[in-house]
Amino acid sequence: MTVKIRFFARFRELLGTDIITDVEAGTTFPALITTIAKKNPEGYTAIFDEKGAFREFVILMKNGRRIDIADAAETPVADGDDIAVFPPVAGG
Amino acid sequence: MFSERERERYKRQMILFGDEGQEQLKKAHIFIAGAGGLGSPVSIYLAVAGIGTITIVDMDVVDQTNLNRQILHFERDIGRKKTVSAAEKLREINPDITVHAIDVKIDETNAALLVGGAHGIVDAMDNYPTRYLLNEVAIAKNIPLFHGGIRGFYGQATTILPGITPCLKCIFPKAPPREVFPVVGVTPGIIGIVQANEVIKYLLHSGELLTNRLFIWDGMQSRAEECVVERNPDCNACSGLVTKRTVRTKE
Repeated sequence: MTVKIRFFARFRELLGTDIITDVEAGTTFPALITTIAKKNPEGYTAIFDEKGAFREFVILMKNGRRIDIADAAETPVADGDDIAVFPPVAGG
Repeated sequence: MFSERERERYKRQMILFGDEGQEQLKKAHIFIAGAGGLGSPVSIYLAVAGIGTITIVDMDVVDQTNLNRQILHFERDIGRKKTVSAAEKLREINPDITVHAIDVKIDETNAALLVGGAHGIVDAMDNYPTRYLLNEVAIAKNIPLFHGGIRGFYGQATTILPGITPCLKCIFPKAPPREVFPVVGVTPGIIGIVQANEVIKYLLHSGELLTNRLFIWDGMQSRAEECVVERNPDCNACSGLVTKRTVRTKE
């Protein structure tokens, strides 16, 4: 099955965006994003902490709806999912 | 009532929303938190639109490094208080409005007092701790918070109506780490104008607000996207609000 991952802001600069990838059924959010983010170590550390967990400020969206990062590990991705991953931007 | 000068000044927009709409803007009081990258375009556009009373708060002094984006401040203002510079410019831009410029750091002891009886808060801050404070004040006073944030070529904006839309904490429960953020002036220009546009529509009771949606701007690709955002029933800032509203209705 195929999903699309969109990164925003700093994550986009480091990892690109609109990444369409094949995933196996049952793949969870952290597994999916880890695989993609590992293509750029700086991108990976921007999103994940030393323990490999999502940094607490990371926002995850599945088909436009927010997924709490605490629930991400239990949330499998489904065919055709549009996944957005972004940091809040703080400047003014 | 409008003076002849005001009628001339607002002639082209009164074609859009008439005396009644212009009156709504004139009797409005908007609080702008920050006179920097976002606060500059927000305050300039609200001033030219004829928002009757603008309170703008900032604690900083104009620095040379501000001038690539903080278009309220000029070379000659370096070393002056941003509030002094801002008030001067806004009064020149539109002498028919009232501008209060307050030189203070917004903190938990003064935030509610500073906002006072304003009809809405524009978030033109550069950090989340202060944004969360403004969010709490907006919730407590049941007034909108027009959120904006930028970094580099990226920006985000949303309009928060307490009890109706998610609050800032529902959308961004944790602040990103502090940093000296890169920025090019056009980004706060775009986001600040989106915020000012929201304020105007809100005051006119017209159009569709940026509610329950996070507007995301990518200036590098010249693409705007949006995400649906929802209230968090466990939000530590606004989850008690339904009750508050019910009580208020009963009164």
